[in-house]
Amino acid sequence: MSSTRPKSAKIHAIVLAIGGLLTGYFGLSANGYLVPAVMLFILAALLWTAKAMNFFKYATLINLLSGLLLVLVLAFGDSLGARKLDVSGVALLTNLFTGGPILSLAALGILTGLRKGKPLALWFDKSNAKSA
Amino acid sequence: MKNISIKILAFMALAISSNVSAASFTGTITKPNGSPAYGAMVTVFSANGETRETVYTQENGSYAIRTPYSGRLKVRARLASFKDATTNQDTSVSGRTNLDLTLSTFASLESANFAMSASAFNARLPWKDVARDRPAFVSQCNYCHQMGNNYTRLPFSHKEWVAEIDKMEGILAMASVRDKANIADVLTRAFNGEPIQAVQNYGASPELARAKVREWLVGDGYTFIHDADIAKDQLLYGTDEGHDILWVLNRDTGKIDQYPLPDIELPRGGLFSGMKLPIGQFTGKHGPHSLAQTSDGRIWITNALSSTLMSFDPISKQFKTYQVGHDSLYPHTIRVDKNDIVWFTIVASNQIARFDPKTEEMKVMYLPSNGFIRWVSDRIFPTLMRIGSWFPNQAVHLNLSTHKYFGQNILAFPYGIDVNPNDGSIWYAKLYASRIGRIDPVTMKIKEWKTPMLGPRRPRFDANGIFWIPAFDDGGLMRFDPQSERFETFKIPAIGEGEYETPYALNVNRTTVQVWMAANNSDRVLRFDPTSKTFFSYPSPTQVTVLRDFTFTEDGQVCSSSSNMPAAAIEDGRPSFICIEPEGGATDRAALGG
Repeated sequence: MSSTRPKSAKIHAIVLAIGGLLTGYFGLSANGYLVPAVMLFILAALLWTAKAMNFFKYATLINLLSGLLLVLVLAFGDSLGARKLDVSGVALLTNLFTGGPILSLAALGILTGLRKGKPLALWFDKSNAKSA
Repeated sequence: MKNISIKILAFMALAISSNVSAASFTGTITKPNGSPAYGAMVTVFSANGETRETVYTQENGSYAIRTPYSGRLKVRARLASFKDATTNQDTSVSGRTNLDLTLSTFASLESANFAMSASAFNARLPWKDVARDRPAFVSQCNYCHQMGNNYTRLPFSHKEWVAEIDKMEGILAMASVRDKANIADVLTRAFNGEPIQAVQNYGASPELARAKVREWLVGDGYTFIHDADIAKDQLLYGTDEGHDILWVLNRDTGKIDQYPLPDIELPRGGLFSGMKLPIGQFTGKHGPHSLAQTSDGRIWITNALSSTLMSFDPISKQFKTYQVGHDSLYPHTIRVDKNDIVWFTIVASNQIARFDPKTEEMKVMYLPSNGFIRWVSDRIFPTLMRIGSWFPNQAVHLNLSTHKYFGQNILAFPYGIDVNPNDGSIWYAKLYASRIGRIDPVTMKIKEWKTPMLGPRRPRFDANGIFWIPAFDDGGLMRFDPQSERFETFKIPAIGEGEYETPYALNVNRTTVQVWMAANNSDRVLRFDPTSKTFFSYPSPTQVTVLRDFTFTEDGQVCSSSSNMPAAAIEDGRPSFICIEPEGGATDRAALGG
């Protein structure tokens, strides 16, 4: 399987794994960061082995959207009034449960690669085909 | 005319009656060897113990004090390194008593240790590397209370100290995991129940012998009067951050009134309800912190826990609440400019607020973040606090706070604030980022300077537009000239070998141009004379004196609130209002012919 693994899968998986290490290092002090660290390792493993594409894709998508929502609410969310921090709080927790801010930074590249016909999508498709 | 005559007669009757009930004492305080005790404190307690007055002895050991008290009064003589001399005097018959007291030596080193200030003990903490390890202790352990006094000098195990620091972390202490382990290790080894050898000297002076101190006990063991301020009515107002109460002291009558702040739809602890509320201390929702008065008489209060601004009308006794901002955390020090605009810092979200009482318009602006990590914290910290509030009293949000790794450096902490009398510009000090800044009140343009000493806390301007800044972390005083943009620094003299000082706040008497500042590590108040560049030390009559802000009365007294956290650690077990009358002792001496 490794011989057919595209370069973008390798790069992104390594980025996620390094992100997991960094987040996990912070998690040794503030243990809440162990959650996104574990998630990053899981996602890196899924990408490396091309397993559970839907889970991988939607986790990344939710991570990106929650990260975006967090930034937008903090920057322009005053009209939400007292609910502003509730929304940003939910967005932050969602973002952390799905891999944290490091995944958000890499998410756009990953999701672009997951579009139909793109290397990451093909990588997951091939793997699925083999296992079928 | 008739009215005036009646008033004069009434005043005379009052004066005569107060003379009749007033007790005065004169005498000499001596050391055990018979030599005069210079700089000793002679304190007369009221019959119910709720108030007390103190004078300091002259070089020949003599003292003279007039009090408004009557009945059986406790009189105490106190001087560092000696055991108190205490007696009870019945003053119901005679108004004036001659009373000589002799100090004694301590029976043991242990009992001598009980009379020493915290500075003697925290100076001897066995840091492996003082320069590397001690700053976090000063910054995070000395910030709210003394460490090393009789209340905190406990022979805990390492595990118990870690639990204790965890508790502090739950109320906004920002020690990193590494700092926490280090501090716990040092405290375990240092506070082992063994007595220490130390000599402390508060530095007697002719200026000290001219002074008089008054103290009024307030509230209970968990009352936390963060700040006190003299209003135009010359009453002393104090914000009780622990109980959501505004205390008001009439210094002439000794009467203390209390005005509970109105309720708000927030849980106990306000926006900080997710934190571990300290030992029952914060029982309120608002957390009134700092106060200042506008020319219309209204008193403005920053409510740290509810992130609101509140006004109090001293005439109608009515409060009114104003929201600050949805992501503003911990409104802090408040000042009013010459146009009656209210300005205050917001420490935990790195902001400054400007409020116009006429239009009721509130503007909140971010200050420069001073680095990427602080920028992230400025934006995320309020959200973390909200997440914490979903799990009340558990401090779970700390598991996501990067202070666990970076320590207090994740926040800039804009703390003290003042108005430049020359140009009306607004100046602030950032405690953690060690910077001062200027805001143009018209353009709102900001300029910042790094301070040469660390921990600029609550600065003030003098009448000439010189900015005076206490350097908490470096135990110093800084002078900044906005014209030349140059700093001058002064190290605060300690009272014992190896000791350091923790100056929390200062204020400059704009008439006498004297800088009064807190010295919270060693139970004293300092006066700095800018002309001679000399510090004068005024030892506090009460052990465990932690003062926050200073305010001046029209007749030249400097007042503050004793607000160690918790108040139960203070010698009396309760906080107090405290006023120093720089010439009060001399006046009493002259009146009594001393």
